[in-house]
Amino acid sequence: MTQAATTGYQDPIENTSTGLSSRKLMMWAFLASDVMFFGTFIATYLVYRGKSLVGPYPSEILDIPVTSVSTFVLLMSSLAMVLALHYLKNGEKNKATLWILAVVVLGTVFMGFQVVEFRLFAQEGLTPRTNLFGTTFFILTGIHGAHVTIGVIWMAFLAYGSHKGTLRSDNSMDLEIAGLYWHFVDIVWIVIFTVIYLISAADGPPPGAETILH
Amino acid sequence: MPNLWQKLTQHDGNGWWNLPHGPSNEPNPPHEGPVGGPWLANLWRVATYGGVSHAGPGFYWFVGFILAVITLLEVWLFTVESLGIWFIPILLILSLGKFVGVMAYFMHLRFDHLLYTYFFASAMIVGVLIFTIILFLSEYANQPVLF
Repeated sequence: MTQAATTGYQDPIENTSTGLSSRKLMMWAFLASDVMFFGTFIATYLVYRGKSLVGPYPSEILDIPVTSVSTFVLLMSSLAMVLALHYLKNGEKNKATLWILAVVVLGTVFMGFQVVEFRLFAQEGLTPRTNLFGTTFFILTGIHGAHVTIGVIWMAFLAYGSHKGTLRSDNSMDLEIAGLYWHFVDIVWIVIFTVIYLISAADGPPPGAETILH
Repeated sequence: MPNLWQKLTQHDGNGWWNLPHGPSNEPNPPHEGPVGGPWLANLWRVATYGGVSHAGPGFYWFVGFILAVITLLEVWLFTVESLGIWFIPILLILSLGKFVGVMAYFMHLRFDHLLYTYFFASAMIVGVLIFTIILFLSEYANQPVLF
């Protein structure tokens, strides 16, 4: 038996020892490493949580309603991504292109929210150099933003490919791999939104901060 | 020795994890989720029938709706002051639910080969371990605040 089996959902038949796509497996390996990458930054944020001696503190600056909207936007981009893949695999080119473009637009909107948020924070006096909250917050959300930016550029290329007909159902693995990356960016934000925005939003100055300063 | 190794790791010349090709690998099964037919039964079948099929747009819209509702619930819980010590555990559980929802259905792990799940789950375990160790060390090392 030399023919490798296809497994799961329309994976092309590949003659690999596992029968699985090496490219897809490589993307999963990358995502696995990225879990640890983001895990260390989230852990660092938690280690220094509530230890800033000067403001602005999370309770003074985080805007939960606005971030909830941006979280919803990113979540919907994941939905658009999975629909794009479905239509591409079904050979419905126009629908696939439309949904890939929706991913690009929603991703860009999310980035817009982040840029506006960063600018507002800077105007309020919170920069990466201000305090421990600023340092850990900007590094974590900034790296996530960089991931989103890369994803948006990647999706823009794929949208162009789908429009031109170079991205088709027979090479939909290209979109599936990009989709894995995009969904991963989404699940990282799910964690960031919960840990940084919702759980930490009430954090004020640590006990005795004023005494230490003066 | 090579023979034993082959027996342990291979099957018909392929890795033992290499499932044979069968009807379960066929794409686009007729049951596509909440739209059409006995939708609740279809929904349950698609959601729980791992490794053998994938869902359609109706199912994905449904999952997206559930994820959006969970997000709304999280934001609403944020405004509830009476939760006390339950606030963080509830938020973490809801967040975990969204995490699993995206992984299982949007990233197709529920419909894909188990090897991908094992692969990612292994990294998650190592990641969570590193995460926990860092938190424990920081708690007991009592590091000074830098600035």
